[in-house]
Amino acid sequence: MNFVVLAVALPLLAGFLTPALGRSSRALAQWLGWGTLAVCIGVLWVAWARLDGGTVAIAIGGFRPPLGIVFYLDAVALLFGLAVPLMALLLWPREGTPQQFALTLVLTASATGLALSGDIFNLYVFYELTAAASFGLIAGRGTGAAQGAALRYLLLSAAGSVLLLAGITIVYLRTGTLNLAHLATLAPERLQDPVGLAAFALMLIGLGVKGELFPVNGWVPEVYGSVSGRLAGLLAGLVSKLAVLVVVRILVLIFPQPEAAQLMLVLGMLGIVAGELAAWRARDLRRQFAFSSIGQLGIVFVAFSVPGEAGIVAGLAVALHHLLVKPALFLLAERWGGSIEGLRGAGRGHWLASGLFILFALSLVGLPPLPGFWAKLLTVMGLMGLGTGLAWLGALTVMAATVVEAAYLFRTLSVLLAREAGYTSPGPHRGLDLVTASLAGLVLVGSVFALHPLGDGLKAMAAQAADVQGYIRTVLGDRAVARRGQREDRISEAHPASRGSDRPMGRADRAYGWPAGSPTRGARS
Amino acid sequence: MTLPPLEIVLYTGAVSLLIIGLAGLVMGDNLVRLVLALAVAEAGVNLLLVLSGFRQGAFAPILLEGRVPGPMVDPIPQALVLTAIVIGVGVQALALALVLRVRRAYGTVEMRTLRARLHEDLDAAAGLPPETSRNAPAVERPA
Repeated sequence: MNFVVLAVALPLLAGFLTPALGRSSRALAQWLGWGTLAVCIGVLWVAWARLDGGTVAIAIGGFRPPLGIVFYLDAVALLFGLAVPLMALLLWPREGTPQQFALTLVLTASATGLALSGDIFNLYVFYELTAAASFGLIAGRGTGAAQGAALRYLLLSAAGSVLLLAGITIVYLRTGTLNLAHLATLAPERLQDPVGLAAFALMLIGLGVKGELFPVNGWVPEVYGSVSGRLAGLLAGLVSKLAVLVVVRILVLIFPQPEAAQLMLVLGMLGIVAGELAAWRARDLRRQFAFSSIGQLGIVFVAFSVPGEAGIVAGLAVALHHLLVKPALFLLAERWGGSIEGLRGAGRGHWLASGLFILFALSLVGLPPLPGFWAKLLTVMGLMGLGTGLAWLGALTVMAATVVEAAYLFRTLSVLLAREAGYTSPGPHRGLDLVTASLAGLVLVGSVFALHPLGDGLKAMAAQAADVQGYIRTVLGDRAVARRGQREDRISEAHPASRGSDRPMGRADRAYGWPAGSPTRGARS
Repeated sequence: MTLPPLEIVLYTGAVSLLIIGLAGLVMGDNLVRLVLALAVAEAGVNLLLVLSGFRQGAFAPILLEGRVPGPMVDPIPQALVLTAIVIGVGVQALALALVLRVRRAYGTVEMRTLRARLHEDLDAAAGLPPETSRNAPAVERPA
């Protein structure tokens, strides 16, 4: 299964070749990008087929975990991993420069890494790489607004990264390891206290910048308002979900304490309230979608905060639904961007676009039997199943958000389909945008007819993702766990001084059972 | 956990740098100063990361003629911090480049002005009239 590494390595390599190639031929650079993404899809598809519902850990470079970096493959990781090159291909910056192709490829590589990596510092590096690529893509539009938005986003995101790194440092201080599986074995005794909770809060805020979490989402309307619909779709649909996926991995594996989930629930609820109310007040279509995406991601966070399998099923459903719907809506807003009042009657005559818009809006609101309804239902049921006051408040927030969503989306719809003329069209939707949006629409409608198999698939996926013991066994193996005790003894004979140390925490040399001077980890830098 | 005095001083310093940097980021207005505040905060975190592997009186983690000279400091945080520094430098350089571009586009290096002009720009691009607050005074205040 080692070939899965290609899904990260190839786009990174192609990303560095593209600008050079683009000097001689832009078309060639474009084809290189498309070819690379197609190969990535193939690689991940083969991995998906071979995995067949199981889990595999890949030790990169042959260095065994917990010392080496691992990629952890399960159904959830591969599903999101597969979504990355697929969506990059569908939302490819066609009119862009070779530099933008390169950045899209780097974004693909790092986002795939975010989905697959099983090492917390490696995740940080991929997160930073994703951030850097998206700064370039946003600023690459060249307008003053895009550059201003990129700078404001960069400062917020860099502050978030500092907090994330501080959180990782605390985790390392406490446990002496960075491998998620190894952390999962040590967390119950070492991170179940206020300090561990502080580490989680820091990491949640840090990762929340990209995940559009409540206090750190000021960049969302500015960025989505100033970039092309394709890029907005890529960032809102895909990148935000990968940040959430990382948060969920950390929450499930390392921080099982209820306070951590409660913190996420509260921030998610605040995000829903802030996002939906701002969307209701928004005066142009693009920023309405931007704010609504903050609200939807709030629902995702709220759903994932329900402990155990039920929460993961609900969270995955809401996240995947949003991943499908929001990029398509941003593509439709490409022509209908601008003031909502100015769109009076814009939908008449463009019936395919209007039909798709109605479909997506209804699903976003949650009209049965569209998938959006089932996603919200799962969330509310999960929260009510918890029975605590806070969970009830969360369920009520989700339902109230539905009312607000209905209010503003139906208002926009009534403007789009108004009878009076007076709208001057900037031209019909581009064919390719419509085809991509129709594809999303088809998947959405198709999933209505496949609810049972989809539900079963999601449940199996969630059961796998919630199985902490399974994760540990896959990465470290039964034997490695049993053998760790012996190794510690052997090392302490070799280094009597290291045992005499009065440090209470497991220093890495002892926790790993490797000589402190072993240079393996240095390969990172 | 009780720490030796030296480590208390070091940890306090690292955490203070982090807090000073973050406070600068939150309260600052000048874009260049914001980038500097970011650099300070990153220095604090990097220091914290290096400290997590520190052990008093221990050797640098290098094998001498294949032998371990004695207790060594943890080499992993050093490798990590190298990565973090490189990432930090890259991001700061990008930030400064964007500050220059923003100054060219908006003629300002102040965050508040940038924010106001950016929002005006976005409204104008969307074909919206400038937003008027309901609480704003109806007429200009006499000088």
